[in-house]
Amino acid sequence: MRSLRRRLELGCRIGAFALLGWLIGTSIFRAPRRAVERASDRELLARLPSWTRTPSSVALHGTLDAAPTPVVLAWLSALRHAGHGVTWSGSPPAAVVVAEPVTAPGGGVRVNVAAPANSRVTVGDVAGTIDSAHVAGLGASFTLPLTVDSLIVRVNQQRQAVARPNDVPPRAVLVVGDAGWEAKFVAGALEERGWKVVTRFAVAPNVDVRAGEQPAIDTAHFAAIVAIDSTVAALGPAVQRFVEQGGGLVLAGASAGARSVSPLAAGAVGARVRRNVAANDTIGLGSTGFYPVTSVREDAVALERRASAVAIAARRVGAGRVLQVGYDDSWRWRMAGASGSEAAHRDWWSRVVSSVAFTPALPANEEKTFDAPVAALFGHLGPPRPAPVASSGNVDPRIPLAIILLLLLVEWTSRRLRGLR
Amino acid sequence: MTTEFVFATAQYDSGDWDSAPLLPANIIDTIARYTEINVAPTGVIAPLSDARMLRYPFLYLTGHLPVRFSDAERRNVRRFVERGGLLFIDDHNHDIDGVFHKTATEEIARTVAPLTELPNDHALYSSFFKFDGPPTTSHELNGWGDNLVHKHLLAVQRRGRIAVLFSSKDYSSEWNYHPDSKRFLSVDNTRFAVNLVVYALTA
Repeated sequence: MRSLRRRLELGCRIGAFALLGWLIGTSIFRAPRRAVERASDRELLARLPSWTRTPSSVALHGTLDAAPTPVVLAWLSALRHAGHGVTWSGSPPAAVVVAEPVTAPGGGVRVNVAAPANSRVTVGDVAGTIDSAHVAGLGASFTLPLTVDSLIVRVNQQRQAVARPNDVPPRAVLVVGDAGWEAKFVAGALEERGWKVVTRFAVAPNVDVRAGEQPAIDTAHFAAIVAIDSTVAALGPAVQRFVEQGGGLVLAGASAGARSVSPLAAGAVGARVRRNVAANDTIGLGSTGFYPVTSVREDAVALERRASAVAIAARRVGAGRVLQVGYDDSWRWRMAGASGSEAAHRDWWSRVVSSVAFTPALPANEEKTFDAPVAALFGHLGPPRPAPVASSGNVDPRIPLAIILLLLLVEWTSRRLRGLR
Repeated sequence: MTTEFVFATAQYDSGDWDSAPLLPANIIDTIARYTEINVAPTGVIAPLSDARMLRYPFLYLTGHLPVRFSDAERRNVRRFVERGGLLFIDDHNHDIDGVFHKTATEEIARTVAPLTELPNDHALYSSFFKFDGPPTTSHELNGWGDNLVHKHLLAVQRRGRIAVLFSSKDYSSEWNYHPDSKRFLSVDNTRFAVNLVVYALTA
C-alpha cells in the first residue's frame, strides 16, 4: 500500500500534467470574450433595441428600483429565451393592484393596493391623480366613483396600470323588519341612493306591509337582505340558502340573535351598550347605543370597535358575505344628527349593503384588472442576482504555469527528501 | 333607548297647539290595540323651535288660532321634512275660511312647498285599514265650521312620500276623547290614525 507521501507526489504530478493539458487546450480552442451590458429601470426601454442586436454571449443586467413595464418585461423575457443571460438586481416595491367593480347603483371602481409599509400610493386615471395614501400596514383601498379609461397606480416610483372593470348593475335589496323608524329610514336611505328596495315590514300578527314585487329570495332577484330585527326569522331557511349562493346579508341590531340566522352571524349579540349622549348633544352613529358583537367567530373579522366593544363584524358563509352591524337606531343620526347627517346616513347604508351585495359573474374584461409586476418579474427572469462579471475570454497563462511549477517543486522536494532522484 | 314610536305633538309659539289634549293618548291606545308596533305609552310635546323636535319623525300639529312660525321653527320644520319626517296638520276649526287654515297653509307653502290634493287612491288609505278616501267626521256631517265634507286631504310630497299632510276634517275634535269611550262606538273612528302611523313608519 502506498504511503501518504507517495500519494501526494502522484497527485502533484497528475495535477501538473492536467493543468498543462488545459493550457494547451485553451490555446487551441479559445474561450469567447464575455461582455456585460447594464441599465437602470429608466434606461431599459431605450436600451432594448440595441441589446437585441448584441450577440447572445453578452450578458444583460437591469438594476431596478421599480418593476419594468409589461412591454419591457416581455422584451427581456424574449431576449432570455433567445439565449442572452438576462439578470436583474434591486428592490422594486412588491405591489399588487386589483380593480373591482363596486356593486352599487352609482357604480364605480374599488382599487385595492397591496404594498410595503411606508409606501406612498397614488391612484388616478388618464385625466390625472384622484387620490393618494400613505401605507401604514399592508396596503390601501380606494373607492373611485368616476374614472376615465384605465387606472394608473403609482407605488413610490413604480407605475402600474390596470383596466377599468365593467360596471355591475346591482339587484334589489330586501329590507325586513318590524314597522319602525329604523326599518323605514334604512329602506328610504337605500332608495334615495338608487337601490331598488323591496320591503317587508311586520305591523300586526300575520299582517305585513310590503312594497315592491316580492319574488323568491335568491340571487337572481336580490343582491342582499337587510334584517332590521328578529322578524327575519320568518323567512326561514331561505336566508341561509341565499347567502350560500353568494347573496349578502346585513344583520342589524339584535337580528343576529334570531334562530334561523344566528348560525350565519359573525358572533353573538351582547347586551345593548348604553347611550353616551346628553340630552342636548348632537346625535351621531352609535352614540345612542348599540348591540355589540360578542364571541366573534374565528372565521369572522371585527371591522369596527366602539367603546372597546365590537360594533361591526363580517364573515364569509359559502359564496356570500354576512355583516353583523350592532347599530339599531341609525335613524336618530339621520334625523337629529349634525348638518349633512342625512346624506351621511344614506351613503353609510349604501356602502354597508354594497360591501356584501351579490355580484353576478359578467363576461371577463378583455384587459387585465390586476397587476403584480414584481411577481411577473420573478416569474420571467427569476430572483434577483448580482450582475455577472465581464471577462476578456483569455486566461492569463502565468497563473497556471506558476501552479504547475509549484506542484512539480513539491513533488521533486518530497522525492529528494526520501532519497530518490 | 329603544326604537319605539313616540306620538309627538308639535308646540308652536303663535297659537293654541294643545287644543286636543286627549288625542295623543287615544291614538296611542288605537295603535296598541290594532298593531304590534312598539309604541311609547305616553306622548311627548315637541317644541318646533327646539332642534330636538327632529328626534320625532312623526309630528301632529293642530289648533284654532293663526299659525306663524318663528325663524327657528321654520328652519327646524324645513330640516324635519328634508330628513324624512311626516308632519300631520289638522284644522281644529274645520273651516277653510278660518284663520288656522289660511295661515297654516300659507306657512307650509312658505316653509316647505304648496299643498296639493292627495288622491283618494293614495297608499295612505290602504296602508292598514282600507278607506276610499279620508274618512268623514261627525263634525263635517253635522255642518259645523265651513259646512263642507272635504273629499280630499292636502299634502306636500317629497321623493314620492308624504312629507306634510293637511286635513280640514277636524280629526282633532273627532279623536279627542278618552280611549275607554271607544267601547261606546259601533265603529272605531280612530282607525284612520292607524293608517297614518303605519304609513309614516313604512313608506
